[in-house]
Amino acid sequence: MLDVGRHPNIKLLAYSEVEKVEGEEGAFKVTIRRKARYVDEDKCTGCGACKEKCPTVVPDAFNEGLGTRKAIYSLFAQGIPSTHTIDPAHCRQLNGKKCGICAKTCQAKAVNFDQKDRVVEIDVASIIIAAGYDVFDPSRISEYHYRDLPNVVTAIEFERLLSASGPTGGHLDRPSDRAFEAELAELGKKVEKAQKALEKYEEKYGASSSDFIMKYRSGDYGDDADKAKWAEKFEEFLPMHESLEAMKDKASGFSVAKRLAFVQCVGSRDFRFYPFCSGYCCMHSIKEAIIAHEHGPETTSTIFGMDIRAVGKGFEEYKIRGGNHSNITYVRGRVAEITEGQNHNPVITYEDTRERKVKSQEFDMVILATACAPTKGIIELSGKLGVELDKYNFIKTSPISPVDTSVPGVFVCGCAQAPMDVPESVAQASSAAARAAEIAFHYYSEKEKAVAC
Amino acid sequence: MTAIAQLIDATKTYYCLDCGVCTGSCPVARVFSDFSPRQIIERSLYGLEEPSDGTIWSCLTCAQCSVRCPANIDFPEFVRLMRDEAHQMGFDGVPAHNGMLQTITSIQAAGATQKRNFWLEGLKTAEKGDLFYFVGCRPYFDVVFRDINAGSIKSARNIVSTLNAVGEVPVVSNDERCCGHDALWNGDEEKFKKLASKNIEVIRASGAKKVVFSCPEGYLTFKRYYPRYFGDLGFEPVHLLDLLEEKVSQGIISFKESKAHVTYHDPCRLGRLAGIFDAPRALIKAMPGVEFTEMPRSRENAVCCGTSGWMNCSSCSKQIQLERLKEASTTGADTLVTACPKCQIHFRCTKSAFDLGIEIVDLYDMVAERIKTGATAV
Repeated sequence: MLDVGRHPNIKLLAYSEVEKVEGEEGAFKVTIRRKARYVDEDKCTGCGACKEKCPTVVPDAFNEGLGTRKAIYSLFAQGIPSTHTIDPAHCRQLNGKKCGICAKTCQAKAVNFDQKDRVVEIDVASIIIAAGYDVFDPSRISEYHYRDLPNVVTAIEFERLLSASGPTGGHLDRPSDRAFEAELAELGKKVEKAQKALEKYEEKYGASSSDFIMKYRSGDYGDDADKAKWAEKFEEFLPMHESLEAMKDKASGFSVAKRLAFVQCVGSRDFRFYPFCSGYCCMHSIKEAIIAHEHGPETTSTIFGMDIRAVGKGFEEYKIRGGNHSNITYVRGRVAEITEGQNHNPVITYEDTRERKVKSQEFDMVILATACAPTKGIIELSGKLGVELDKYNFIKTSPISPVDTSVPGVFVCGCAQAPMDVPESVAQASSAAARAAEIAFHYYSEKEKAVAC
Repeated sequence: MTAIAQLIDATKTYYCLDCGVCTGSCPVARVFSDFSPRQIIERSLYGLEEPSDGTIWSCLTCAQCSVRCPANIDFPEFVRLMRDEAHQMGFDGVPAHNGMLQTITSIQAAGATQKRNFWLEGLKTAEKGDLFYFVGCRPYFDVVFRDINAGSIKSARNIVSTLNAVGEVPVVSNDERCCGHDALWNGDEEKFKKLASKNIEVIRASGAKKVVFSCPEGYLTFKRYYPRYFGDLGFEPVHLLDLLEEKVSQGIISFKESKAHVTYHDPCRLGRLAGIFDAPRALIKAMPGVEFTEMPRSRENAVCCGTSGWMNCSSCSKQIQLERLKEASTTGADTLVTACPKCQIHFRCTKSAFDLGIEIVDLYDMVAERIKTGATAV
């Protein structure tokens, strides 16, 4: 990624969208909307002082909504170009409220609230579609209850929980526990506020609230309005304080997830959705289970699936290593159902097809190895380019020219074409780049010849 | 080609991935470990299965397996075809209630004159008209299951009075017969065809354009299987719940306030097989004062009521029913509402056998007790 950013012959137009494509192989004219970042890319040093001070907190899409970011943000730390963007849907200043704190903070004077979208036109000889993929929405499989059970997460959500730069700093805190703790913090704030109000009365009358209330209840103060207010505040405070203590008590028993289950083929190898194998999920489940074990040596993982497709150099060895050294158990049986047990623990029901027995097993967290689905914007983009899609909405190619689309001069690589692993995507990207350069070279040398004549 | 090889081809069972989702999902397999849809398919694909194998009669044909099957294998259909084969070879399952209900439908198929409309007094019905109400087996159930207080006729009366309340005067025929659902799923195709052809004749003679069903089985059988055997019927099967939901959304009917806390059990023929999930919920939610809580396993994931086609009612059925009623109780609701006369009978049977506190109520009774039509609304 860094290499792309630095390369003298690569011009990166990030945060931009293709609006229109005209022309043909060798002479495409592409209209691109460069969306306003409200930050000058050339001035921003990427220091991040702005986002520290920004008062607006927004769910973080990069962390799958598990964490938060600010209204001025960089998508993720290693992003290229290293710059920031203001989210116009949430920024206070851009929504007519008084703010502008980021602009005041920025020493490079990079923030510019008046920036507008720019439409640019570029001439290119060839185009490569590298639009990537989306994760299959597992709520479509109702028997897995992904939306109902907080501790059933997708592999990508789990990846963020496992990441040291993720929302939990790499600790496997369960989403149900995190939600409970957020509730606890909210109540804590309320209790604190109520406590401060009571302290004022205590200071004013030189008595503790608990002593006061005894006397008040026995009618010592008659109909003193101020005292009645104090009593009312204290009566409100008591149950709140009590439930806060109970919640604290419960939260003190929380621990990180130790018993993990990985459910393979969620949306893939399934005639209802994508009948083909996504190819990479077996390996990423094993990888995540191994990393989870590195984070906590007590962690055990069970991987449920029809088979582990460890196809590739060293993959089978990796799988065996996971079993031998990282507490991974491989169960042959596709998961039939996930329900909720005690303590928000997901319960998996399945047939162990080797033992020919139906079993149910409880886990701390369940990770769904979700299928590789075409990215949402691909239908629009393919329409603008005029390229054909296959029946699943991946870009259509033929087996003997796997990076050529139906339009000459337009190529494809990576998961926009079909599900594939990282090394395969990289190899295909190089192949697509070579095919694209071939055309560019041909047309530009033709042009030069024409000029020379 | 053997009969099983033929039905493997017909149902594309060769796509089986051997993944175990069917068996893991099967309510029978969970309590009766000898039964496994996956293993029936496995044996069939290896040529080891025989239609005489008794386990095929344990299947509830509830379609919990097939809606989840990643290879789209219609296991209930596979079992149905297998039972056809078995029946022809002289093998049948163990009928429940000593085969009394199978005998009743055989008598109907033979063409005996019935006296099935004795309960219609005071209700408005017609001899001929656009709308035919297909009552189904309720009058018979009411007699057979009097001991568990099935209440089948009470609900049938409530259904006709609801139709009257929305301005419909339906044809209710004394010549109507069992829809043939049970014969079809018990492998008795011949009996099914006899019953079906007589029903089609009776409905056509009434001049009806629409046939309204309250029974999920009747609806499914008319909608899916009658056209398969008889082509275009010349009338349209409609489910009463869809009809009532439409009237509610149009504001033609509303409901009186009455306090209750209910949960809803999706009958397999109505939900998974006919795809009607929303209409019953919309009706319940339109009733003021009624608190509604879903069971953890609902809609596509609703567990079967434990028996189907009056076949193989065993301790396994009882256990499935008992667990389902416990699940209903965990919602905090004191009433389980359902929209199938058979589900209701099965649950009432278990309720009385185990002396459970939960009430079993027919959705149509709830509707009739609360209904307010535009004309009578205050």
